[in-house]
This record gives sequence, structure tokens and C-alpha cells, in this order.
Amino acid sequence: MRFRLSNVQVDTAQQREGLKHSGSGGFCAFEGWVRDSNEGREVDGLEYEAYAELAEAEGERILAEAIERYGVTDAGCVHRTGDLKVGDLAVWIGVSAAHRDEAFRACRYIIDEIKHRLPIWKKEHYLTGDTAWVACTHVHRAHEHESDPAHHHHHEPGAFTPDYSRQVRLREVGEAGQSRLAAARILVIGAGGLGCPAISYLAGAGIGTLGIVDGDRLEASNLHRQTLYDTRDIGELKAELAARRVAALNPTVAVQTWTEPLHAGNAVEIFRQFDLVLECTDDMRSRYLSSDAAVLSGTPLVLASVYQYEGQLQVVTAQPGTPCLRCLWPLEPAPEAVGSCVQSGVLGPVPGMFGTMQAMEALKLLLDLPRPCEPALLLLNLLDYTTTRLPIDVAQGCAAHGGCVAVARQAVALVQSQSDIDVVFGRLEDALAAGYRLVDLREAGEIAIEPLELPSLQVPSAQVMAHVAELAEGRTLLICASGRRSGHAARLLRAEGLEHVHSLVGGLSALRVIS
Amino acid sequence: MTVVNLQYYAQLREQAGSSGEQVQTAATSVRELYDELRARHGFSLAADALKVAVNAQFSAWDRPLREGDTIVFIPPVAGG
Repeated sequence: MRFRLSNVQVDTAQQREGLKHSGSGGFCAFEGWVRDSNEGREVDGLEYEAYAELAEAEGERILAEAIERYGVTDAGCVHRTGDLKVGDLAVWIGVSAAHRDEAFRACRYIIDEIKHRLPIWKKEHYLTGDTAWVACTHVHRAHEHESDPAHHHHHEPGAFTPDYSRQVRLREVGEAGQSRLAAARILVIGAGGLGCPAISYLAGAGIGTLGIVDGDRLEASNLHRQTLYDTRDIGELKAELAARRVAALNPTVAVQTWTEPLHAGNAVEIFRQFDLVLECTDDMRSRYLSSDAAVLSGTPLVLASVYQYEGQLQVVTAQPGTPCLRCLWPLEPAPEAVGSCVQSGVLGPVPGMFGTMQAMEALKLLLDLPRPCEPALLLLNLLDYTTTRLPIDVAQGCAAHGGCVAVARQAVALVQSQSDIDVVFGRLEDALAAGYRLVDLREAGEIAIEPLELPSLQVPSAQVMAHVAELAEGRTLLICASGRRSGHAARLLRAEGLEHVHSLVGGLSALRVIS
Repeated sequence: MTVVNLQYYAQLREQAGSSGEQVQTAATSVRELYDELRARHGFSLAADALKVAVNAQFSAWDRPLREGDTIVFIPPVAGG
């Protein structure tokens, strides 16, 4: 008899002795204990009542299944009945096997099945003096999501067990490191040139949960650098495509997606749900919001960005006394001053390298691998491989303006107070009908390629501040290609006291998608 | 006159048409030097939008120039 019920304390040493076999190289035990609370109520003790004959027959069956399924040497289980106090052992499971992996998995199988199938009820005694019979709740059975270990070579969907042996072999990683990765939650903002390699490597490494944020749909011009996708994916939402690729690469990774960019109203809360964030967008506004959200939520952030053949990498650890993005460049620069992949061009491997470096930094942080502790900005030029590592002096940054937290709080509050700047229209005719005057902020060359064909004022974005008086009249809708220049210009004009200036969200490219 | 070595990153590299140069300058501070270079190369970014590092350390803009300094001008970049 491998399974038994006991109305007295279990002798675990004796149980363990019973599972010793000369062919066993590993032993794994699980103990379930009575804890002091359940669903918010303080528990004093509990009482187990079993339908003994049925419980014993079913228990035997579960153990036999585990032995058969995982090929382990032996397994045993004792379940308590009667009165138990907080801290008492309620259930003991032991498995011995030739190798540890099967022992762990069989042990997990047994406890999940016992919780699910055994006709045992428990009555909880609360500190308040009352009692309740607790209903059997559905448990997640981990083994329903893994393959029959005897059939590893069948690669049917849902029947794959990841093999991390190559990284677990590293002394600094090991099983303990792998467990840390499996428990980790990482948010990747942007599933483009930087995000693609970052997401691939993190999924492959077995990160427990990946959050993916991207509001864009895949375009043909993305494919030279965005290696998660192929031609069939054009027009689809990148966050959803990336989630599908992760599921195909490592089905054990849980994925959460956001198909809208984060904003000042939700970024801090979402950052709090993760252990670590990678900022992989090509959007300066998103980079500043991420830095602020990292500081305010205390979540480490790995920033990277590229320009043509070079890039920058900064790790914001978000610990008191460490620098943020604003410590280097306090204010978000104007989009036209910064350049982008669209305007300046980029060679595919450049974001590929930097996204890979972001994944590397994430793994180093999670695994506590050796890394330089001194905060720094890393510059790397991929034409001549010059690397410049510039230490950041915290005293020269936000410290002069009340510290990173105060600066970030102010910045987020300002953006939130200006949330009415952004307006959405499906057609520009609707904006005109709503009483807006259209102001086109694009350069003459862009306008020539795609004219608005509606009455509008043309003011290149870099010159808006010279046209404040003109723009102050009436309700004004600023328009550019992507909504970045118009958003930035609108915020500058608001700071000049122009309360009726708005920006078309997503710019003209958003109109194309909607129509 | 002071001889200093310059390195340019991102937009500055593109606008200067090279990743670095050695210049002889009459400027006395890093800021004066940048203003001089901005006029020469037509840099679009003002000094306030940049970080500057001298001899591999971030530096204040009013730092005096010394013979042989290596000066790096770094704009924020956003590509991804």
C-alpha cells in the first residue's frame, strides 16, 4: 500500500526510509501544512474528514499513475484526517527516482491530483470562533501542459518540454538560476528592431512571464530588422504576432500583451506588475515615460536606442541614489532634433545588437551575474567597434532638482494634466466639422508626397514657437505623420499658455489605418 | 590656442561628416568650443540638448579647456 490515511501525526523519516531503493539517485518530497489564513480569514486549525475507502482507492490509483507516467522508482503518500493545528503536516508525498527531474515532476503530479480528485473535505476553524467547510477548488495541473516524458521526440503543439541544459550548465546559472528565470516577470515595451531579439532570447531563456507592449502593425519596411516576423505577418498587430512567436518558441512562457502604447495614467501601475522592464521603442516620449515610471515604481529599466550605425545603453536600477534618463538629459528633446529610423535610416543588425544587449542585461540582473555596479552610459559604434563607457555622476543629475522621484512625479503629473491635448479622428473632415483649424507641421517635402487636400496652415514643426501669436487663435489641431512632432509642439505651445491647441493622435498614418 | 580631440555621436557625427577630428581653438570653455563647432558644422542641436564628456567623464559646460583633452558630444537618440 503506497497511499494511506492517518489520524495521527505522520513520521516523515520513516516514510522516507520506505522509499529508499538502490537504483534511486534522487528523492523529492512535498509537505502540505496547515497555514494561519485562508482567503483573508485567520485560521486557528482545521479538521479533515475523508470518505476512507474511496480516498484510499483513488490515492493508490494516483500514485500508480505517477510511477507509470514518469517512470519513477517508488512513490508514497500519507494524508491526515482529524483535528490539525496551524503548522501541522496535512499531507506528505515522497518520490524516489533514478534522476531528479522525474522525481520533481511526479511529486508535482501527485499533489495536484490529490487536491483535485480525493474525496477529502476540510472544515476550517477561524480565530473568530466560527467554522466552515471549504469547497474543493479547481487546481491548475501543471502536467496537463507538459508531454509524456517517454515521448519527447514528438513535437506536436502543447507537448514540448523546454531543455535549458546549455544555460543551466553554467556554474553561475544552475538549477537555482533557472528557477529565478521561471519566476521572473519582464515587460518589453516595443516589439520592433530592439524588441525582437530581446523577446526571442528572453523567451528562449525561460522567463516565466513576458509582457509585450506595441500599438503598431507590421509593415514591409520593418522586416530588415524585426526578426520575429515574416512577409505573411504584414498588417497584423506586432504585439499579437510577437506573442504567437513566443508561444511557438517556448510554450511554457506566459505572455500578456498591450496593443496600445502605455500612457502617464497607467505606466506606473503596469511597471509595478513586473520585476524588470526593457524599453525598446523608437519613441523619445515613451523612453521618458518609461524612465519616470521605473523611478516611481522602483522597477529596474534597461534603456537602449540606436542611430544609424551606433547606439546607447543605460540601465536604470531605480534604487535611491542611482541615476535615471533625466539625470543625463533632463528634458525630452524635440522629435525633429532626435531623428528616427524613418528619417535617418538604420542598418538591421544595429538594433539587433542593442536588443540582444538589453536581453543580456536583463538576464544579468535576474541571475545576479557580475556586472559593473557604477551607473554609466554605454556608447557603442558598430562601424569601428569603439566602446565608450561614461560613468554617470548622480550629483550632477536630478539631485539638483529634488531627486529623480520628485522630478519623475512632476513630469508624469504634467503629462496627465495635458491629457486633453491628444484627440482622435478617423477623418480630417470630421475635425473641420468639429470646429478645428488644421495646422500641418510636416516638412515641405513630406507634404508634396502626401498633401492634406483640405484647408490648412503649414508651419514646419521646428518653427512653431515663432508662430505662437498666429496659432493662438481658435481651436487648433496640429498634424504630422506619426503624431510625435504634433504632440511635442502642442505641449510646447500649452506651456506658452495656448489652451486650445491639440494634436492628432497617431498622425496621418493613423488615419490611413482607420480608413 | 588649445589643441583638443573631438568625438561626435549620432546626429552630430552625421552633420560633421566624420566621427572625430583634432582642432586648434581659441575657446576657453567646453561651451564656447561647442558654439564655435556648431557655427562651423551647422549642428542642429543646442548645447542644452546634449551631454558632454571630457576625458571619459561627463563634464560641466563651463569646464575650461586643457591641451590634449578628448571631448565627446552626446545627443540623446531614440531609434529602435
